[in-house]
Amino acid sequence: MDGVRVGNRIIGADSPVTVGWENIGRVQGGPVKQAFFTWFQPTVLFALIAFWYYAPDSIAKASTAIMLGVGFRLFLLALEWVNPRYDSWKLTWKELVTDLFFVGLGYTILRLVDGYIGDGVMVEAVQNSFDWDKFAWFTGLPLLFQAFLISFIFDFGQYWMHRGMHNWHPLWLTHAPHHYITQLNINKGAVGNPVELFLIGLGIGGFFDFLPRAALLAGALGLAVGSYQHINVRFNSPRWWRFLFNTTEHHSVHHSRDFQGSRSNYSGTWIIIDRMFGTCVDGEAELLGMEGGRRMTIRETLVYPFTEGWKTFKERFGRDRYGKGLMDGPTAEPAE
Amino acid sequence: MNLRFIDWIWHIRGSVPLAAGQSSEQAFERLEPLFRERDTHHVRNSDTLTFEKSNQAPQDKMSIFDGGELRIEQAPSGGVLRYDLTSKILLFCFLAPFLFLSFGQLAVAVGVIDKPTAEEKAEAKKKEAEEEKRAAERKLHPIDQFLGAPEPEKPKTEAEKKKEEAEAKAKGEDEEEDEGPSPTPAYVFAGIFAALYLVGRVLEDRLVKRLFARRLQGT
Repeated sequence: MDGVRVGNRIIGADSPVTVGWENIGRVQGGPVKQAFFTWFQPTVLFALIAFWYYAPDSIAKASTAIMLGVGFRLFLLALEWVNPRYDSWKLTWKELVTDLFFVGLGYTILRLVDGYIGDGVMVEAVQNSFDWDKFAWFTGLPLLFQAFLISFIFDFGQYWMHRGMHNWHPLWLTHAPHHYITQLNINKGAVGNPVELFLIGLGIGGFFDFLPRAALLAGALGLAVGSYQHINVRFNSPRWWRFLFNTTEHHSVHHSRDFQGSRSNYSGTWIIIDRMFGTCVDGEAELLGMEGGRRMTIRETLVYPFTEGWKTFKERFGRDRYGKGLMDGPTAEPAE
Repeated sequence: MNLRFIDWIWHIRGSVPLAAGQSSEQAFERLEPLFRERDTHHVRNSDTLTFEKSNQAPQDKMSIFDGGELRIEQAPSGGVLRYDLTSKILLFCFLAPFLFLSFGQLAVAVGVIDKPTAEEKAEAKKKEAEEEKRAAERKLHPIDQFLGAPEPEKPKTEAEKKKEEAEAKAKGEDEEEDEGPSPTPAYVFAGIFAALYLVGRVLEDRLVKRLFARRLQGT
């Protein structure tokens, strides 16, 4: 495979990746269907912003956001059936069970653990030890700007954590199971080792004081943009959308079996962060995964960082029967 | 214990009639492509085919199965394919509600064990008061005022708080109930997996029967 040069890198040399917006697929079908899948994303985004901006205080609450989020995801699941991006990514019963198991872990046991060692606890400990107060100036900014900052600052941190995971072996071991998914569906973002889910959820938002409405607006950005990261729906996203925001097309390149492709598009919501640091590749891929598309079992996903970590440790620091130290590299297939 | 009483949980058994005059050889010829998948091994004898699978890709039509046996029985009235397939994911989905119920119980237990002391409660109240004081000082930016966004909620007055407490007591709600992590999400997921198991057990049974029937008919 020849691949395509993007900056200093050749993308698609190991596995097919379509590079360039002009080359990716478009929504097929009648004018109504085309219009729907062209305008759906921006319409929902602006509708959600308007809703959270103007909703009275009695409605603008976290519980409303949770209900909206669940309802929206159910609707997106239905869209996957109506207009799949690839038939080979169609959601099966087994995939749904697997995905929901990891979603369930996030809502239960991980949340419980997070209450004791999560970023909220860490931020509070730092604030207490330095006798810091929250940065109150934040609340004086316009609401939409506050929301943008909350979303952007979190995504900026997430970008570097994610990039770190692809560049440092111990972190990669936690993230690797997520790269064994062979298709994108709406709940696939939750599929991964719990240690990774914990790490990627760390943020510094707790240092800032902001209006609750701004947090809800930032949540709306996450819902109306971030949700499309792992989704099997073909959209004709507008040009400005693709320039600013991460899309399922961008993220499929990140999940592709192509080594250089997988080292692209690290951000969660704001693809402009990747553009800033030269890691953005505009394109899409259908063949996803690691080791030629080996699907990891739930059990292996849960234990992989520990079993592979132990193997690596033994290889680095163990001794063979001649008493010689083994200094070979790690055995896990590196996308780091 | 005889596993036959419970192994329907992870076994799918059934039968599909062969087309008229179809031999065992011809039937297996048609079914065999299903077993030419990655990490799938199969052995074929004259009238049986056994297989094992691992790391099944979602794109594999038999991805929920990890092993099984297909047997062809010829009778004067015509041949029939009988199959007995095992599925780890069916068993997993059957057990998942129990796992999530235990997470729910764990959340309850943590709430009991890690009950805040009087000191911690006082500290939390103090923090809440400080937060409310800070909230009272918050003002909308002039741009937002101009665009008509609702003002941030002001902290409740003592009279309002007392009124709410009295209403909650009248409804029989206990203030203590709010303490500790909530077990509700765990119970919701236990329900989801119980429903998913029922759907999967029926759906996958039908899907595999249809798959075999179509292959045998060559459609």
